[in-house]
Amino acid sequence: MIFEAKLIGFKEGIKICLVWLVLYSYLLSKERKELIKPFYAGLALSAAAAFLSLLLPAGLISKDDAGNIISMSFAAFLILSGAALYHASGVNLFFGKGDVRSGASAGILVISGSLLFFLPDFAGSVLYLQGLAILKDDLLMTWASACAGLLIAGIVFFSFMKFYKPYRLGSFFGLPQLFLFLSMAKLFGGGIKGISELSLIPSVQRGFMKFIHDFIHQTFVLLLVPDHPILKKTAWDFIGIFFGAGFASAVSLLLLLSLPALFIRHSLFYPLPEPQGDTNASRRRIWALMLSDRRKKALPVMVFMVFIVAAWFSYGGEAVSKIYKPQPRPLAADGGIVRIPVKDPAGDIMDGRLHKFSLFHEGEVIRIMAVRRSDDSVSVCLDACEICPPDGYGQRDDHLVCVYCGTPIAVDSVGEPGGCNPIPLSADVGERFITIEMSEILKKWSFVNSVKTSEGVK
Amino acid sequence: MPLITVNSIIKEYETAHALRGVSMEVKKGEWVNIMGASGSGKSTLLNIIGGLDSATSGDVIIDSVNIEKLSEDELAVFRREKIGIIFQQAHLIPYLTAVENVMIAQYFHSMADESEAKEALQRVGLGQRLSHRPSQLSGGEQQRICIARALINSPELLLADEPTGNLDRENTKMILELLKKLHSEDHFTIVLVTHDHFVSTHGDRILTMEDGHIIRDEPVNDLRS
Repeated sequence: MIFEAKLIGFKEGIKICLVWLVLYSYLLSKERKELIKPFYAGLALSAAAAFLSLLLPAGLISKDDAGNIISMSFAAFLILSGAALYHASGVNLFFGKGDVRSGASAGILVISGSLLFFLPDFAGSVLYLQGLAILKDDLLMTWASACAGLLIAGIVFFSFMKFYKPYRLGSFFGLPQLFLFLSMAKLFGGGIKGISELSLIPSVQRGFMKFIHDFIHQTFVLLLVPDHPILKKTAWDFIGIFFGAGFASAVSLLLLLSLPALFIRHSLFYPLPEPQGDTNASRRRIWALMLSDRRKKALPVMVFMVFIVAAWFSYGGEAVSKIYKPQPRPLAADGGIVRIPVKDPAGDIMDGRLHKFSLFHEGEVIRIMAVRRSDDSVSVCLDACEICPPDGYGQRDDHLVCVYCGTPIAVDSVGEPGGCNPIPLSADVGERFITIEMSEILKKWSFVNSVKTSEGVK
Repeated sequence: MPLITVNSIIKEYETAHALRGVSMEVKKGEWVNIMGASGSGKSTLLNIIGGLDSATSGDVIIDSVNIEKLSEDELAVFRREKIGIIFQQAHLIPYLTAVENVMIAQYFHSMADESEAKEALQRVGLGQRLSHRPSQLSGGEQQRICIARALINSPELLLADEPTGNLDRENTKMILELLKKLHSEDHFTIVLVTHDHFVSTHGDRILTMEDGHIIRDEPVNDLRS
């Protein structure tokens, strides 16, 4: 048995079981048990479509693409949850048109929701298993292991259900809470990188951080034109705090917690209707049930908030410690040309890792970097961007990271100018050497705010 | 339609027969007194009707529910929703005030509501004793708190086991007048166990028990006349 494949199967199995349990409990409490059938249909369609995706041309969807789609489907459920909360607060998002309570439309919604939830995850796992099968050179055993994992998850779950039938869980979930649960199930059970990634937290963290950073960055760039004197002064270091990973991470966490916080506020404080009853006692009983109901619905959200905070910091700490910063290798210009060997005993540019080089020119060290992109082309850039102090870049997992501000940069976007990307260099990438004009290097380096780094004046 | 139907209830202990096939009916809104000497089975019958004890055989149907078939949890819910009970002893919590003693019954039913509890105590004439603890009140006043506590959740059935057993004649009269007033206003059903002939002359009907049997069933008016 292949452990990684078994784990993937187990993870998907547990996710299916948990989603089934909460959805089924929810439908029971709403007396809409019949809608479990469209859920099964959506589940089956997702599985079928995921396997059909194997027929797509190789490389059409990369693991990164799949990961991004999973992250986006997480975001979709989070947004749906917010929308359902908004709807529950009294704003009719359906504009009074169409009745989602009717069998057909509710069924279509459940099938669509199930597809949106399961298809990206299943497709990602199938993609991962396919890669694993090639790596292990054992297609049959890989799939058998995944199926075994799936089976074990089912047996564990239904053995538990045999002794304890927690269908009363439904009273903890309104529609907004249900969507929030689905997004959380995806957040904690997502990721397609086998053992190393059972959670979407790192990718969500990166996405949020990039959003926060870019927002702040672009605001400053708009307010302070890049060649403004203030950018060359100490004040820039203070402004740089807003670009820091810690700041962006904290703001991102606040963003992620803001919706659950709204839930708690809504769950605990939304105005209750005046209870109708023949006697004080019956009115009191109805009032107590309503209070109990809204407290119950706040409980899973509180649990999610604790999980999010714990996971956010545990994954955040791990991610920060994993930045790879290679030692620059010295280069020299010869006749106005700089040559970088594609492969030599010191390193192989095509190995997918970040490679750095240093060039000494008129008392100043110019840093250059090269990295292979997913299409096997090589990007050659200065190890600096136009705006931040030139601390350069490191590599974390499958992306680059600005050492100064922590912005994640997708490797495939390296070589494109602008934003937080490193300044690209025009280079001729040959079989044995990468050739760059010295004049090109000097011209681009002149854009760099070369006198300062975050650690002090150079 | 009767609120209570008791069918052939038998209650046996290891060495004794407390009830030997008792059957009776109580209509909705009726006030029925159960009379009898000590050991005649009247309190056992009341406890079985109230779901505090179970019968060895037979059925007790209250408001169309056979309570002998209910589980412990269901029975607890049923008692909470349908029944109020007053005993000879007040069983008040000594470190709580009068109003808190009433609120605790609200709490176990649904949720506490202080203003409603105060109103209930005012109804039983204890508006000036809201913050007093049981030890600061007379026996009659304590029993009035018990009545407020028993009725605070609007039960359909009030069971009273010797509610005036500890009281002097004046307080007994006061409690009975209070029960009469509340009964006429709220129309709940009363089953009251007593060995006191004076007490039994209040209400609609008297069942007399002897050695685990009901030996007589007569209207109060007949007895008065």
